[in-house]
Amino acid sequence: MREEQVQNAVKFLSHPKVKGSPVMYRRSFLERKGLTKEEIDEAFRRVPDPPQNVSNAQPAGTNQDGQVKPLSSVQPQVATQILQPSAAAPAGVISTLTRSRFHWSHALLAVGFLALSGAGTAVLFKKSVVPRLKSWIRKVVFEEEEGSAKTTDSKPSLQQEAAAAAKTAAAAAADVARASQEMLLSKREEEKYFKELMNLIGMQVQEMKSMSNAIQKLEGNTHGRTPLTEQDHRVSAKSLRQPNANGNVDFDSYSARSSPPPATVEPSAAPHPKSYMEIMAMVQRGEKPPNIREINDLPPNPNQPLPNPHSAPRAKPWEVGQTQTSYSQVLQSHESTCGLNSNLQDNGFVNQLNGDSSVPWWQKKNVRITEIENEDELKRGSSGVLTNERPVQRSWVPPQPPPVAMPEAAAAIRQPKKTLSEKQVADDQLVADPSDAIDELQRITKISESGGVVDANGGSSGLSKRFSESGVDTNGMSSGLYTSEIQEEQEAY
Amino acid sequence: MPVFKTPFNGYAVKFSPFYEHRLAVATAQNFGILGNGRVHVLDLSPAGPISEFAAFDTADAVYDLSWSESHDSLLVAAVADGSVKLYDLSLPPPSNPVRSLHEHTREAHSADYNPVRRDSFITGSWDDTIKLWTIDRPTSVRTFKEHAYCVYSAAWNPSHADVFASASGDCTVRIWDVREPGSTMILPAHEFEILSCDWNKYDDCVIATASVDKSIKVWDVRSFRVPVAVLNGHSYAVRKVKFSPHRSSLIASCSYDMTVCLWDYMVEDALIGRYDHHTEFAVGVDMSVLVEGLLASTGWDELVYVWQHGTDPRAP
Repeated sequence: MREEQVQNAVKFLSHPKVKGSPVMYRRSFLERKGLTKEEIDEAFRRVPDPPQNVSNAQPAGTNQDGQVKPLSSVQPQVATQILQPSAAAPAGVISTLTRSRFHWSHALLAVGFLALSGAGTAVLFKKSVVPRLKSWIRKVVFEEEEGSAKTTDSKPSLQQEAAAAAKTAAAAAADVARASQEMLLSKREEEKYFKELMNLIGMQVQEMKSMSNAIQKLEGNTHGRTPLTEQDHRVSAKSLRQPNANGNVDFDSYSARSSPPPATVEPSAAPHPKSYMEIMAMVQRGEKPPNIREINDLPPNPNQPLPNPHSAPRAKPWEVGQTQTSYSQVLQSHESTCGLNSNLQDNGFVNQLNGDSSVPWWQKKNVRITEIENEDELKRGSSGVLTNERPVQRSWVPPQPPPVAMPEAAAAIRQPKKTLSEKQVADDQLVADPSDAIDELQRITKISESGGVVDANGGSSGLSKRFSESGVDTNGMSSGLYTSEIQEEQEAY
Repeated sequence: MPVFKTPFNGYAVKFSPFYEHRLAVATAQNFGILGNGRVHVLDLSPAGPISEFAAFDTADAVYDLSWSESHDSLLVAAVADGSVKLYDLSLPPPSNPVRSLHEHTREAHSADYNPVRRDSFITGSWDDTIKLWTIDRPTSVRTFKEHAYCVYSAAWNPSHADVFASASGDCTVRIWDVREPGSTMILPAHEFEILSCDWNKYDDCVIATASVDKSIKVWDVRSFRVPVAVLNGHSYAVRKVKFSPHRSSLIASCSYDMTVCLWDYMVEDALIGRYDHHTEFAVGVDMSVLVEGLLASTGWDELVYVWQHGTDPRAP
């Protein structure tokens, strides 16, 4: 410890101006001057007590380590504790400072002190004064309430409260009633408007209907019903059964039955006749259309014996084979013509037919079409059209041609070229080898069932075997019928 | 071409397989919504006009009918109250019907007589079932219940005696063999309800389906993933499809767009004829088995037209 330094430090510290400055500044000054901590402490010990206000904030035993405490943390503490002393302190500091030279740091200090004191005042005010004010206000209000409650007796107050409540309730009810009345009125008004709108629309519809009627008349259509006038009829009948498969599709339906019949696709609904919509609406309302009669359609004699057939069943065009078709048709047409002629004579109709048109109108083909078809056939190289002349050409065809040769030729002649191969194949399958075709169908069905490949039974033996097998089935069909049918079919081929 | 006006809305028309001048029409009052029905039996006369041979009233709408293939005077009618009525034309109307078979729990929508065995017929109904009947039995022989929704149409295979197909609102067509307990094939033919199906008379594995999606698809049941042909041209749902008995690839169809169209599905441009004589939904169409090219159609405009293919149905 250098005694000289210490003495210098003592002299420095004894200076009144220095005495007014904070301890930190003194310490830092001395440190800057190169004194050691011991020397500084010794100097401080020798100098009388440091000033009050600053060290008050410092706790007693923190002289050694209180150097780094920031000033700002000290000052709020000061501000909150005592208002007056802190207010006075800056003033005191300022007064002490004015004696010495006016340093910028002193000015800064002063400004800082002022600001801090102001902030402190504000905080204190906020924390203490405002709550006091609030509580005072509450007290006043409470006193008022108490006063109002105290001025009246307890019983009358209850009654009054009840009365007041009743009054308010009545007032509220009146309000509600008024509001609902207003709503009703507005609803009625809306209804009126709506009805007017509907009337207008109905008028427009009527106009459109009359217009379409006029158009139809112009077109010369004399048949009954009014045609459709409206574009989109969506009958959203709630009672209709919704489809299971396509739940999303909205169907237009035209039956009031509890299941929709054929419906139309969502985007383009088929426009239904107007009278249809009327009837639908009527039914949905529960009214029955007026023109329905009560009809008893039960059989008068449920055990009525069935008649014997007058004529034998006719072979179908596709069953008999191509060449047969024309011949059988000729036979049939002649039969029917003869039969018809006799009928006509029986019925007393004038027989308008002359030799040329011995065939009724429905058998005559339009000449134009026949020509076109002939042209087409020429182009295609085939002639598939049956005309009345054909029987004459083919009258030499025997009734039961051999199955293999003739149908192929007939197919080759009569069918279009591009389908010739297919037709040949099909004909072969169908006519020449019926069992294979049938077996193939059976095979297909078996495949779909079992998922495997089933060998087709070749030959007619397989066919008859299958039929005879199934003849034993308990499906109610008489096996006798089966065998007779089999024989018929086999004969046909 | 003659026209016949029915008092009720037409639903189906079928030519007789015995007499080429005879056809039957199924009609329903009030569009089939609610009301009576009537079966008309009409005769074509060579002079022109159509005359009515007989008419039978029913309590409910008649949706479809089918001529017997074994008896020339028998007629099967599918009635909307679920009953199937048998009419005998050789008896006077007061003695008719000779049978009323009531087993369907919902509307009977289609009837088809077996053209090969000629002893049985099937009826399709909105109760999701198809029933097999013979004319001599008072009860059904079998009931086929697999569809999930209304069966709109059932058709026998013209070549195989025990095979038939059914078209349903569950968007599938099922192929059945009466000797098998269940369906033998399921064709998910369309995305929408399938209203009608018919077999190719000349190719026993080809079937045509008509749907609400305005298209007709032709399928080969041997390779049923992809249709053989898709026929577009109708602008609304196609109600009925019928293969020609005379030409292997000719199809007639009628639709809610009020037209009857003729198609050849083997040809590139399939639509070969279009008749728009109806003024309301065209609901029934048939091609005569006995007379090639003879067409008949009926619709909700209460008219029955009979004409030759290539002629104008409305021409006098």
